[in-house]
Amino acid sequence: MKLIVNGESRDFTDGVSLEGLILQLGVRKETVVAEVNRKIIQMDQRSGLKLSDGDQIELIQFVGGG
Amino acid sequence: MTATVEKIKSEDSYQINGKTFRSRLLVGTGKYATNELMAQCLEASGTEIVTIALRRVNLDAKGEKTLMDFVDPKKYTLLPNTAGCYSAEEAVRVAHLSRATGISDFVKLEVLHDEKTLLPDPIATLEATTILVKEGFTVMTYTSDDPVMAQKLEQAGAHAVMPAGSPIGSGQGVLNPNNIRIILEKLKCPVLIDAGVGSASDVAVAMELGVVAVLLNTAIAHAKDPLKMARAMRHATEAGRLSFLAGRIPKKLYAQASTPQKDF
Repeated sequence: MKLIVNGESRDFTDGVSLEGLILQLGVRKETVVAEVNRKIIQMDQRSGLKLSDGDQIELIQFVGGG
Repeated sequence: MTATVEKIKSEDSYQINGKTFRSRLLVGTGKYATNELMAQCLEASGTEIVTIALRRVNLDAKGEKTLMDFVDPKKYTLLPNTAGCYSAEEAVRVAHLSRATGISDFVKLEVLHDEKTLLPDPIATLEATTILVKEGFTVMTYTSDDPVMAQKLEQAGAHAVMPAGSPIGSGQGVLNPNNIRIILEKLKCPVLIDAGVGSASDVAVAMELGVVAVLLNTAIAHAKDPLKMARAMRHATEAGRLSFLAGRIPKKLYAQASTPQKDF
């Protein structure tokens, strides 16, 4: 299935969870905040959340800023 | 005498929403050549509050170190900003994202109007302040140096009001000290100068006006020697604060001799 991650369309296996997607992308899960279809998903809910074709995922982290 | 100065410095604290701070210099983490240099500059500046930003993860940079490998949340109070937001809705979203990290419920709220001036949109800033205060954030709001707007933000519940000395990153210093004086006279909540300072003397001038603290980023990060400038800013903040507390002499048109003029 196709998921839109940070604005880019990418292929993932059907039924992947948000936790699984973060792992597959090699993103350090403890430093990232995730939104699915503009809704923030708390860290403890990631593994239980199955993603669906076309879902829009935003993975956000802290960077330098003033 | 030194002991007295040290005593004043150690006892001179301020609070933001009940949290006590001693360092009156807030430092940003953007624009440094490397994260290592940034971390050294934070240390040298003596800061206790550090601004950070939220952006999309770079999916092509697997396993690389991130900002949080260089900034210890146990050592610093992290102040996530809403930089780059041009509406109240966007700024509220970013604040929600930053709180979801569990690292901080402080927010440096900035809602901008346009990219060239980076001046705040006052109406959207007020709207976002009202929402985030109701939601329990500790809201430190970036604003222009307009005294009326500063009062509106305080009335909306902002925990600190932070007028710009001059445009963000411009290094022009405090362009309208009289507006800052009026803001200080009118507001009871902490007032900080946020943005526009370029040098240690700019910081000292801001502190001498009586603001509780100064927030800066570019002035250190883009100095020829950022580490030296971080130290300079620390000393300037302390010097400006002490000068404010000590009380300057009035300015006079004519000379007044320092040495007795009689009894040679």
